[in-house]
Amino acid sequence: MKKGKKDRAVYSHFGGLGDKIAARTALSVSTVCILIMGFILYFLVKESLPVLEAATFSQLFFGMDWYPQEAPPALGMFPLIVSSLAVTFLSSVVGLPVSLAIAIFTAEIAPRSLRGVVKPLLELLGFLPSIVFGFLGMAVTAPWLQERFGLLTGLNMANASALLGIMMIPIVGSLADEALCAVPQELRGASYALGATRWETIRRVVLPSALPGILSASLLGVMRATGETMVVLMAAGGAAIIPRSLFDPVRPLTSTIAAEMGETPVGSAHYHALFFAGLILLLITLAINLLSSKIEAKSLKL
Amino acid sequence: MRRLVDKLVTLVFWGTALSLGALLFGVLGFVAHRGWEAISWDFIFEPPRNGMTAGGVWTPLVGTLELITVSMGATIPVGVGTGLYFSEYAADSLFTHVLRQSIRALAGVPSVVFGLFGLSLFVIFLGFGSSMLSASLTLACLSLPLMVTASEQAFRAVPRDYRDASYALGATKWQTIRKVVLPSAASTIITGVILSIGRVAGETAPIIFTGAAFYTPGAARSLFDEVMALPYHVYVLATAGTNIQGTRSLQYGAILVLMGLVLGISSVGVWMRARLNRGK
Amino acid sequence: MDKTQTKSDRDFSHPQVRTENLNLYYGADRVLQSLSFDIPRGCVAAFIGPSGCGKSSYLRCLNRMNDFIPGARAEGRVLIDGTDIYAPDVDVIALRRRVGMVFQKPNPFPMSIYENVAYGPRLFGVRDREVLDETVRSSLEGAALWGEVKDKLNTPGTGLSGGQQQRLCIARAIATEPEVLLMDEPTSALDPLSTARIEELIRDLKSRFTVAIVTHNMQQAARISDHTAFFLLGELVEYGPTSQIFTAPEDKRTEDYITGRFG
Repeated sequence: MKKGKKDRAVYSHFGGLGDKIAARTALSVSTVCILIMGFILYFLVKESLPVLEAATFSQLFFGMDWYPQEAPPALGMFPLIVSSLAVTFLSSVVGLPVSLAIAIFTAEIAPRSLRGVVKPLLELLGFLPSIVFGFLGMAVTAPWLQERFGLLTGLNMANASALLGIMMIPIVGSLADEALCAVPQELRGASYALGATRWETIRRVVLPSALPGILSASLLGVMRATGETMVVLMAAGGAAIIPRSLFDPVRPLTSTIAAEMGETPVGSAHYHALFFAGLILLLITLAINLLSSKIEAKSLKL
Repeated sequence: MRRLVDKLVTLVFWGTALSLGALLFGVLGFVAHRGWEAISWDFIFEPPRNGMTAGGVWTPLVGTLELITVSMGATIPVGVGTGLYFSEYAADSLFTHVLRQSIRALAGVPSVVFGLFGLSLFVIFLGFGSSMLSASLTLACLSLPLMVTASEQAFRAVPRDYRDASYALGATKWQTIRKVVLPSAASTIITGVILSIGRVAGETAPIIFTGAAFYTPGAARSLFDEVMALPYHVYVLATAGTNIQGTRSLQYGAILVLMGLVLGISSVGVWMRARLNRGK
Repeated sequence: MDKTQTKSDRDFSHPQVRTENLNLYYGADRVLQSLSFDIPRGCVAAFIGPSGCGKSSYLRCLNRMNDFIPGARAEGRVLIDGTDIYAPDVDVIALRRRVGMVFQKPNPFPMSIYENVAYGPRLFGVRDREVLDETVRSSLEGAALWGEVKDKLNTPGTGLSGGQQQRLCIARAIATEPEVLLMDEPTSALDPLSTARIEELIRDLKSRFTVAIVTHNMQQAARISDHTAFFLLGELVEYGPTSQIFTAPEDKRTEDYITGRFG
């Protein structure tokens, strides 16, 4: 450190100014990132707090009725929160096992030549816009479900969750594949040399070693599913009720915000309630984020 | 017994992979097929007509390209600058820690929350109104963490030797960055930009209430105009059009154009990244 | 115990590992050329030669780890206890149980010390806790590690020092009671003190296993082996009792290599 300073004093009599400007610029530009995150928190809190004039915390969290347009508005978000959690859970049940299976396939089972094709394709599928899945849910799977199972509507929780689950696969699968590939080849060799079969090696050595990476990939998938908007907006049916069956329509927090924000006057209780819904979402994703960085930190220590 | 289990499990994995592949390609193939019937040069180069029951996707397509351009214009300098800060300047300080956590948190923020944020900051607080500028800046915030991570990795991948060689010739840190580090990192950064574009081009939720227009007669001419965007156009046609069933082929056509645009851009990025990684 | 005495007692006519006209190809490259020689039961055979001479590739033929290299193909026969391990009906999994391997870099699994050693026996269906406990203890004793780790069997194996990790890997390899133990430069990643301990261990191990060891260190070969094979460019130049190879090599190339290194 000290030596560096001295060197600079001697040699950089004309480079010094450029250096200083560059360092200052990089610093101030990076401050923008912090500011944006700060502003997100600030504006969500600022715009959602006034809702407390219209409803209490427990009314917001546990109220069963969401009739924001009435006078006085009913702002019970319990059905929305339950819908969000249920859709997240169901889509994870669909998506995570398949993602893991695909990752194991690409990393451990597929021949090298096939892997070279499948891996980029998988990554590419991760770029498919969510509107494509939402549109499919609306135009293809919903009519099919409706006819096949004789339902009132094909736009329901099962439909949206299945689509979200499939949407998760490329993202979680690619990341889990990377986690599996990061397991040193020597460990596989050691296991094979002890007479293990490929599946035994995967199950007992590779998977446990890659577990932190797989977990954080899965958490990212869960986070995506919680925050995903277009698929649930278009395919979940949009009824603010507590679902009693897989085929009930639901209205998660995200689709509520997207559907209603355009139609509500700025500054109304409804407007603030939608910001409150956004704040809940933000806090959920921040919590998942925190959890996944805890897992990463722990695995680094090992 | 153990070999049998091994064989069975292998079979199960092959089965899963093949059926998923068949499912995804079947579905995409179906969309492409239905879209292909609707698509023509006129479809791409004509604006929507007759209350969006006829015509093409020219206006929303141009709008999406405008949104991409403006948002990348905002996100690239900030993203590359922050990446540079991380790889060249960051000390193990509180600031660096807060910065890292902010970017991490930013990457996890749901897209609809970005929409709320854009609405409150750009549209209302800064008074940009519902406009291309507000929507682009919102998208820029959304793609920022991607851009930062990509450029940081790019800078870190530049070998130490290059820097040492430059310093040994008496170059200052800034000269070294400008003449050696930036050029060597450029292709990786460009790949990151392309992948960010692929991510941003299909986003719908953040722009619904920050600047996306239900319908405009022509392309936006100023940053403060509302703008039609391809993904929002698909949403509008499919949910709020005047004749939803009757315009299905228009919807498939618009979806195909969107998919073509996003997957086209992303595949360039994925291909470039694969090539860069192989070079290592 | 007089080791030179027991060595000469050994029966050369019933080899544990017999290699007959073995050729190994990586794609179009022939990396091993018509190898034929025997490794007697209960002895330590060392393979020496410059890098890329094929000594490690040969070692990996003995438990068919080369099967994992795309394009690798072996021709000829390798008989272990009279069975050809390249016969079409051979069960590779069962083969690897009979032929243990210790790698160049210590590679303990990211599990506890206990679980590392119990890994092999568990694969073969040992569930009984007492049997496992006993196997873990005797294997760790066999690898001269028991005394150092007996109170921390449940701590991660990756927390040990490099030399300890390598002895853990040896314990893991002998826990399945193989007949042949392959070692691929097992001390090249270790400090001199740990190396000395492992060499001592190898000398003890040959009472129970036939050991085949690849080493780049000729003194090591001289110190621990009974037989030495000198490889050059995929060819077996010379094979015989270690004392003879190092004092009176028959082939000029062997002499050059040995003296070149020593001088």
